[in-house]
Amino acid sequence: MTRLGGRLAALGLALSLAAFPATAAQAVPAGVQAVQEPAEGKRIVRLGAIQAIDSMNPFLAVRVISTSVHRWMYAYLTTPDSKTLQPSPDLAESWQASGDKLTWTFKIRDTKWSDGTPVTAQDAAWTLNKIMTDDGAKTANGPAVENFESVTAPDDRTLVIKTKQPQASMLELPIPIVPKHVWEKVPDIGTYEAERYPAVGNGPYIAVEHKKNAYVKLMANPAYWRGAPKIDELHVIFYENPEAANVGLKKGDIDWIGRLAGPQFQALAGDPNIVQWNTQGRRASYLQLNPGAATADGEEIGDGHPALKDVKVRQAIHYAIDKQALVDQVQNGLAVPANGSIVPPMYKDFFWEAAGDTRVTFDPARANKILDDAGYRKGADGIRTMPDGDRKLEMRFSIHTEDPIEDKLAQFLTGWLKDIGIQLTTRKLDSNKFTEETGSTALYDIAISGWSVNPDPEEVFATHLCSRRPTAAGEGGGTESFYCNEDYEKLYRQQLAELDRPKRIALMKQMQEKLYTDAPIIAVYYPNNLEAYRKDRITSITPIPEDKGILYGGSGYWPVYSLQAPAGPAPSDDDGAGPFTTAVVATAAGVVVVFVLGLILTARLRRKGDDDRE
Amino acid sequence: MNETAARRRGALARFWRDYRAQRTGLYGAAILAVFVLLALVTPLVTDPSGLDVTKATGPKMAPPSAEFPLGTDESGRSILLMILWGSRVSLLIGFLAALLSMVIGTVTGITAGHFRGWSSAVLMRITDWFLVLPSLVLALVLAAILGGGTSTIILAIGVTSWAATARLIRAQTLAVEARPYVERSRVLGAGHWHVMTRHVLPNVAPLVLANTTLTVASAIVTESTLAFLGADAGQASWGSMLRGSYDWGAVTSGAWWYVLPPGLCIVAVVLAFTFCGRALEAVLNPRLRGVA
Amino acid sequence: MTAPIEIEPAAGPAAGPQEGRGARRGALGYALTKLGGALLSIGMVVVATFFLFRLIPGDPAIAYTRDVPLTPDQLALLRRQMGLDRPLPEQFLDFVARALRGDLGTSYEYRRPVAELIGERLGPTLLLVGTGLVIAVSLGLWQGTRAAWNHGGRLDRFSTGISLTLWSVPTFWLGLLLLMVFAAGVGPIPGIFPTRGMEDVDAPDGPMYLLHVAHHLVLPCITLVAVVYAQYLVVMRSSLLDEIGQDYVTTARAKGLRDAQVRRRHAVPNALLPTVTLVFLHIGLVVQGAVTTETVYSWPGLGLLFYEAIKGPDFAVMQGTFMVLCVAVIIMNTLADVLYHVLDPRVRSA
Repeated sequence: MTRLGGRLAALGLALSLAAFPATAAQAVPAGVQAVQEPAEGKRIVRLGAIQAIDSMNPFLAVRVISTSVHRWMYAYLTTPDSKTLQPSPDLAESWQASGDKLTWTFKIRDTKWSDGTPVTAQDAAWTLNKIMTDDGAKTANGPAVENFESVTAPDDRTLVIKTKQPQASMLELPIPIVPKHVWEKVPDIGTYEAERYPAVGNGPYIAVEHKKNAYVKLMANPAYWRGAPKIDELHVIFYENPEAANVGLKKGDIDWIGRLAGPQFQALAGDPNIVQWNTQGRRASYLQLNPGAATADGEEIGDGHPALKDVKVRQAIHYAIDKQALVDQVQNGLAVPANGSIVPPMYKDFFWEAAGDTRVTFDPARANKILDDAGYRKGADGIRTMPDGDRKLEMRFSIHTEDPIEDKLAQFLTGWLKDIGIQLTTRKLDSNKFTEETGSTALYDIAISGWSVNPDPEEVFATHLCSRRPTAAGEGGGTESFYCNEDYEKLYRQQLAELDRPKRIALMKQMQEKLYTDAPIIAVYYPNNLEAYRKDRITSITPIPEDKGILYGGSGYWPVYSLQAPAGPAPSDDDGAGPFTTAVVATAAGVVVVFVLGLILTARLRRKGDDDRE
Repeated sequence: MNETAARRRGALARFWRDYRAQRTGLYGAAILAVFVLLALVTPLVTDPSGLDVTKATGPKMAPPSAEFPLGTDESGRSILLMILWGSRVSLLIGFLAALLSMVIGTVTGITAGHFRGWSSAVLMRITDWFLVLPSLVLALVLAAILGGGTSTIILAIGVTSWAATARLIRAQTLAVEARPYVERSRVLGAGHWHVMTRHVLPNVAPLVLANTTLTVASAIVTESTLAFLGADAGQASWGSMLRGSYDWGAVTSGAWWYVLPPGLCIVAVVLAFTFCGRALEAVLNPRLRGVA
Repeated sequence: MTAPIEIEPAAGPAAGPQEGRGARRGALGYALTKLGGALLSIGMVVVATFFLFRLIPGDPAIAYTRDVPLTPDQLALLRRQMGLDRPLPEQFLDFVARALRGDLGTSYEYRRPVAELIGERLGPTLLLVGTGLVIAVSLGLWQGTRAAWNHGGRLDRFSTGISLTLWSVPTFWLGLLLLMVFAAGVGPIPGIFPTRGMEDVDAPDGPMYLLHVAHHLVLPCITLVAVVYAQYLVVMRSSLLDEIGQDYVTTARAKGLRDAQVRRRHAVPNALLPTVTLVFLHIGLVVQGAVTTETVYSWPGLGLLFYEAIKGPDFAVMQGTFMVLCVAVIIMNTLADVLYHVLDPRVRSA
């Protein structure tokens, strides 16, 4: 090597060593065994998530990952029963509603926060009052307390909630109760990050470390009132790239991934160490058909196709959809065709299934007949026109950008609707614009949407109320359909006040039937809940509900509470090479790889150099 | 006139002789010719209905076989068919974006070089500004604001990539306008328009050509990157195929036939354009002749 | 993306001897002119950002609430707080005043000041981009020197070819392939690199922490370097070729100096200067390489923040990141420009 070349190479190497300072100083210090691997004897489970925490402040957090972690850190008043999903005692040992159904009295459990302070009803009262009175605290759970008149704690064990209207979903409050003695010192809840560790909580796990955009580390809470979990630590590790997360699971970097997309789930097939967990999901996917949008005051808005105001057209479209084909082709079989409405079959009690004559099956001939009978004539181009005018049945189908599944669904739907004389064009909108056009300005004909349903499905029913339609000023109220039907409203009001569970369920089933036959929305399928975990690292986990339920992202903390794992370092794929050696070798290899090319070239240059000299 | 034609023919012959001497340029041109030819004959020899997911016949994510030489994607469509049709979209976006960039760059460059004073200063300031901005970031923002679609992508790439061309063309314009015959024609009363279109443009045109060739290369890479980051053209291009392979888990399920071909096609075409551009530059830029 | 092939640096110092006007004014005057230009550019970024992001269809207040239904009163209040009820010029002045104070708005998604989010992500990006740049530049300059000195030879064709091929590869695709091969492991190749991020839970303390991070840095860094080093190679190669053609090199050779000496003492130092300057002029390319690299490897930097904002979409974060990236690139450019002027005797005396 010539001197200059050598120097440049040395310079490059020195620079790269400066960049990898650790490589240069490789004296092997004691205790390096701790690198990367759990210390001997600890039982650790590492959960991979394709999402990072948005906030550790439970008053602000809205992402599923954050609300899940908060579920594990803080007790709620009630928690869904692990078998039936019905409300069962958690922080509240028992409860009682008054005769007028407006006053609820909860008996608060005598337990301790993780810093040793006793948990009292004052904590619960303070938390709920904070959300009711401080706009900054409303971000995550504001709507849940909208109907509250007052919340008081007459003594340390009693919590009294008075509501303006009867509220049957009172036992499903999605609100983590935080320790008053810690949180009342926070000057502004709306901007507080809550990054103080160990966090003070009373759930099965305590957050002890959060590295933003990287991971959250939780430890078992030894003082948990049900008894400490059977593992020592739970790590939640964030991935941006779902493919990388899958690689991480196969390799053993993580032990468990919840909420997998279908393709990633299928890619894990055949790995002997991995359990693929495929169960019914919480979500219903449906089409929104603009039924003639109007504001909450009844003023028409938007530019929906007039034909969709006709319930017959909406029903005809329902007959033209092959839900089974969508499940097979779009969801790769990982979903259930929707023979019901907005409540997925996972919630056995609330799920309503269409049967007999009501049931709509894939029948393009029947769809065509309905449209023919209703006077929509087909033109020469095969596209129908309105009975009373020239307007063709040409409609837009609004979907989200960046969603390969919706994209694929659109391609199928376009084909089927063409067969019944409706021309569909796909519009891709970003999620802000999508929400605006399908929720407040009504600039859509048909759109794709969906909703993840809680064990108490009240909220998803509320999204089809007249009052949820936008205000006269065009501001959205959260409607999912612009639906407004007097019978439906009546049923909704009845179920609100109905505290008898079977009767309330019967009312909710009638509402689902109404939505099914009126078709302002058409449920197409219920996507399965897809997860995977390593069986060498998780020896036992109980889903919720216990019979074929969900592991991650369900309601309640049962699955993570039930986790069992072997002690000690994870079995490693590479034989013998310790983690430290691996890291050193890998890093060194990285540096070498960058320069190998150059070295080869230099060697060649030396050979060629003399010949080339001019 | 005949004399001019003969001179032009002579120049062309000289150009070809010089270009032929650039071996990589020849390789590049050959690769390009193959791809363009394939893109052109694709509609004649294949049936686009195979791109429709409802009409796809193959098994899902199947490895290469006699029926599907490059295997199938998540819906059972032939990867080969998608590559062929995707080449049309990728090349179209590359060409049109480069064309847009070339037009903006040339007009700005000639104007800024021809006129002096504040208008030129303003133009150059804007050019410098576009030159330093991270263009991919700007293109992403534009695509996010304008919404998806082929024309958006072309616009986003074209609007963010013209500045280097404008710089180059301006320098060349200054040089051309300093030549005595341009000076003479101006004294004889030629207007701005005449000078710019009759004297400057023909002289800078070869350089514009070389530069545009290079722009096509970067436009194709940019298109695929935009598609990966979520701003796709709405049609099957090589970039959106790569995005599809990522979305549908081809990497972890080991479906190399889905991951590799679109990427390799991008590399081949981009490299070919780069080789051609460098060869053109070497031939046309006397200062560099014999250097590249 | 800027083609790496601009043999003549398109912008900045080498752009043309015709433009010697600024040069005659002396170093200070030149620096002031450049500084003024940079300030103007930054001003243009601010103006463009404001109006670009006002073009976005939809109501920012509704976007900010992210589907949480609000009463009209709450919405009106939010509009007032966000200043949306005021006339556009007033909003603009407010925007500028805030930007000057370092207030870039509040993230829709994180409910935290955008400036703070950017601050958190700056470190990892600087580490990745800095390391990548150092390696890419050393590799590019070194290989470029080799290629130029042997130009036309097999080595030249080989190294230039390799670098241009890598330059033609879409960054994210290369990243995914490397992830697949070296993080997951294929066949006999073991997956020895981590699959994500900059550090794991229970990262060690002290010096071992550096090793831990370096281990995570390897794949992202190789991805970034592979794609960008070609431009440095090509620029160094052509600058050096220019120098070789100069009379003084011929003279030096004629004097009987050895080839290596000529190269080391005369040609390379002269060619190095414009090339190193170009490193900074093309820094925008490295920044955008970082967006894709960080996304593929979940590297918690600015590029990933920008990508997340696009996916959200979180326009507040998008706007802030966009502005910060642009301003950073402009500052780097100006610095390079001024430094070049100060250092290069030829430009100074022109």
